[in-house]
Amino acid sequence: MGLRTTRIRGLLGRWAATALLGLPALVGCGPAGNVVTELGATGGTPVEGGTATMALPPASTPNWIFPIGAPGYLASYNSAIQDLLFLRLFTPGQKGDALTMDSPRNLAEMPRYSDHNTTVSITLKKGYAWSDGTPVTTRDVKFWFDLIKDNKREWAGYSPKLMPDDVKEFETVDNRTFRLRLDRAYNPTWFTANELQDFVALPVHAWNPRGESPRRAFARLMRHAKQFSRFATDPLWKTVDGPWRIEKWTTSGQVSLVPNRAYRGPDKPRLDRVVLKPFTTADSEFNVLRAGGVDYGYLPPAVMAQSRQFKERGYRIDPWEGWAVTYLVLNFHHPTVGALLRQDYLRQALQHLIDQKGISRVIWHGSAAPTLGPVPAGLLDDEPYPYDPGRARALLAGHGWAERDGTLRCVRPGTGADRCGAGVRGGQELRLSLLSQSGSTETSNTMQAVKSDFAKAGIVLDVRQQPLNTVLGTTVPCERTEPRCAQWQLGFFGTQGSWYFPPDPSGEKIFATHAPSNMGSWSDPETDRLIRATEYSAEPAALRDYGRTVARRLPVLWTPNPAYQVSAIRNDLRGVDQNPTLSLAPQNWYYVKKGGAGR
Amino acid sequence: MTIPALDAVGAGPPDAAPAVPGPARRALAALTRNKLALAGALVLLALFAFCFLGPLLHPTDQIHTDLAQAGRAPGVGHPLGTTDLGYDQLGRLMYGGRTSLEVGLAAGLLATLLGTVYGAVAGYCGGWVDAVLMRITDAALAIPALFLLVVVATLITPSKPVLILIIASVAWLSPARLIRGEALALRSRDYLHAMRLMGGGGGRAVFRHIVPNAVGTVLVNATFQVADAILYVAYLSFLGLSVPPPAADWGSLLSAGITYTQVGHWWLIFPPGLAIVLVVAAFNCLGDGLRDAFDVRPAKG
Repeated sequence: MGLRTTRIRGLLGRWAATALLGLPALVGCGPAGNVVTELGATGGTPVEGGTATMALPPASTPNWIFPIGAPGYLASYNSAIQDLLFLRLFTPGQKGDALTMDSPRNLAEMPRYSDHNTTVSITLKKGYAWSDGTPVTTRDVKFWFDLIKDNKREWAGYSPKLMPDDVKEFETVDNRTFRLRLDRAYNPTWFTANELQDFVALPVHAWNPRGESPRRAFARLMRHAKQFSRFATDPLWKTVDGPWRIEKWTTSGQVSLVPNRAYRGPDKPRLDRVVLKPFTTADSEFNVLRAGGVDYGYLPPAVMAQSRQFKERGYRIDPWEGWAVTYLVLNFHHPTVGALLRQDYLRQALQHLIDQKGISRVIWHGSAAPTLGPVPAGLLDDEPYPYDPGRARALLAGHGWAERDGTLRCVRPGTGADRCGAGVRGGQELRLSLLSQSGSTETSNTMQAVKSDFAKAGIVLDVRQQPLNTVLGTTVPCERTEPRCAQWQLGFFGTQGSWYFPPDPSGEKIFATHAPSNMGSWSDPETDRLIRATEYSAEPAALRDYGRTVARRLPVLWTPNPAYQVSAIRNDLRGVDQNPTLSLAPQNWYYVKKGGAGR
Repeated sequence: MTIPALDAVGAGPPDAAPAVPGPARRALAALTRNKLALAGALVLLALFAFCFLGPLLHPTDQIHTDLAQAGRAPGVGHPLGTTDLGYDQLGRLMYGGRTSLEVGLAAGLLATLLGTVYGAVAGYCGGWVDAVLMRITDAALAIPALFLLVVVATLITPSKPVLILIIASVAWLSPARLIRGEALALRSRDYLHAMRLMGGGGGRAVFRHIVPNAVGTVLVNATFQVADAILYVAYLSFLGLSVPPPAADWGSLLSAGITYTQVGHWWLIFPPGLAIVLVVAAFNCLGDGLRDAFDVRPAKG
């Protein structure tokens, strides 16, 4: 039979493929692997040079380099990389347990407030220059200010009535000093932490040599910023004032940085190169970490029990706690389910169906904690809507929902106290769709657990998973009439925390009406009033009132807040500071060796 | 390869003696003599019974998670332990096996059907029709099937019917080439010339003569196609492109279990891995047995 040879080869191929597929069943039985370094977590002689490879979060690829963020490109790793290239005037730094804006990495001296907190004077530090030798001056800061002022609708950091609306005048005093005339008195702590931290110097001599209008210059710069494949080669991005410059930026998201030799700051890089490596899943990162392919990686929560093995192999295990909250975003402007989500009782019922404590303990293996509200947990009471499926069912039944064929349907439409609520049709099914980020077993399992608990109450939740950049690009604020508003109902991008607080954890950028990160378009006069109070008053009660009220109003559904990551760092890589605001400072990293020779 | 026409079964002279068993009976006899094929068939029967009848003996909730039961080792009440979401692993293996077998069987058979008709038409028509159809097949074969599957599965939310269609859409190429070769050999047979002289058309030639006469090759190929399709389901699920939870299949169970390799949760890894190996090996053994069975010649003397 003429087919025999082919068939035998085919058969062997199938057996081999089958065996390969079954092979994972056998892994884990082998030896732990080689030791990456014999050095402990302390001691050793610092050496200059070397390359450090850091793992990026799963399914996350850096895709934005322009320091003026655009909607859909706000991932923390984007801003972490931008800050290494373009210095901010003020960056948060950790001092003990507190965050301060008095970081040595700041491009400016601390601001001086005068005229009853209606004027701010800022002086740039001496000696800073761009990589081409041109000094950094107030013109560069003014260039940034003009760009955001004339293009504020395109800037993802814009909130109505805040920066740049709250600055009446940008007054240049000299090459190093400028003055901001504000529209009213502000709480200086809040203004420095949450408004001035946006300020960044941009090289006007290189980016706008012909002196175009801010609108034209911005449009041109945005066109360059969207050419992802040219980040490493575009001359525009080569003029930097930060400690690093780009060596490579691949379309798969791998970024290689090398020292900017012209950097004038106090923290000059000691390594030759830093490589940020993307991974599709936490498991694939873990496999590479086990093989010694990254120097600074992370352990998936499911294998934290194995951290001892990594310590024996020469890694130190260090949880990186982010200053964040985590939640499911609700699209209040969705054409069909927006009316459902706007019902207070429905949001309360949904929140009662999320077992935050159980999910934190079982799925996140204790590396997550329940999110209580929009401010750090210390300012809040316990969960306002604890896991209580019975209470959830009672709330829904009490508002006109009854089960038909296993799914809840509205049987009492209307706006009365025991009715389904405004905009909900009679017979409407309680069915929701969730777009969640992929790449994490814990996130997938969290969504399965939520789906299961929703199903027990008769609510259908369809879960779709996509890479983080896709989720961030889809779950953006929208108007009811826009087609893109129909593309998502609920969204989740919180595998490593959904929202990282600014140094002053008020809500003007997340829950205020038309706030840039108010993805679900929440709008509530009471919330707006409380947020305003935190901007104007230094009273701690203002922040507490905002936190407690918004925690109960449920502009989002609170879900367990995970640690940013449980880091595994080679023992011989030192100087790593895991800042809770997720900024990176690889310029402080260095290797140590027993003998003192370069790595 | 020469395969007796099935429509010739029982068509011998009425008083012919001694009675020679027909090809189908000879094939069955040859199949039962092949111990490996018999073992394959028995394993398949056992696996089907496990997946479709097993839940009657061991009923479990495979829809709702139970965090209080998560990550339990095998023991009383949960003979194969529980998953990281508290599903009973034995029940999940049965539940997931249904998806793997249903999708694998349906996709394999659909691919065989499509490939058979396509190849028979190409081989019978010959000339430029054959050239065009085969170049299309060659071009499609040049693209790695897994790549195509991943792209399509990423664009479309997978469900059972969708998985069947996308797997069949890449798996029909191999039977098409195979049956085209058979058709090329069959088209010059006398009975096809006779049929054409009597006014028979192309459709009749393909569906009444070529396909039935190539049925041995088709059947053998179908078993390998089903095995391949089950592997494709496993590949896709392993890459996270399968039916969304709480649905499961053996590939997705294996993929979920890999996360726990390091913490010794063997019950999440070995059972689905073993099930995939067993079902694919069984289909291959059965296919080999069928091939030998259809290859038998009339006994000498």
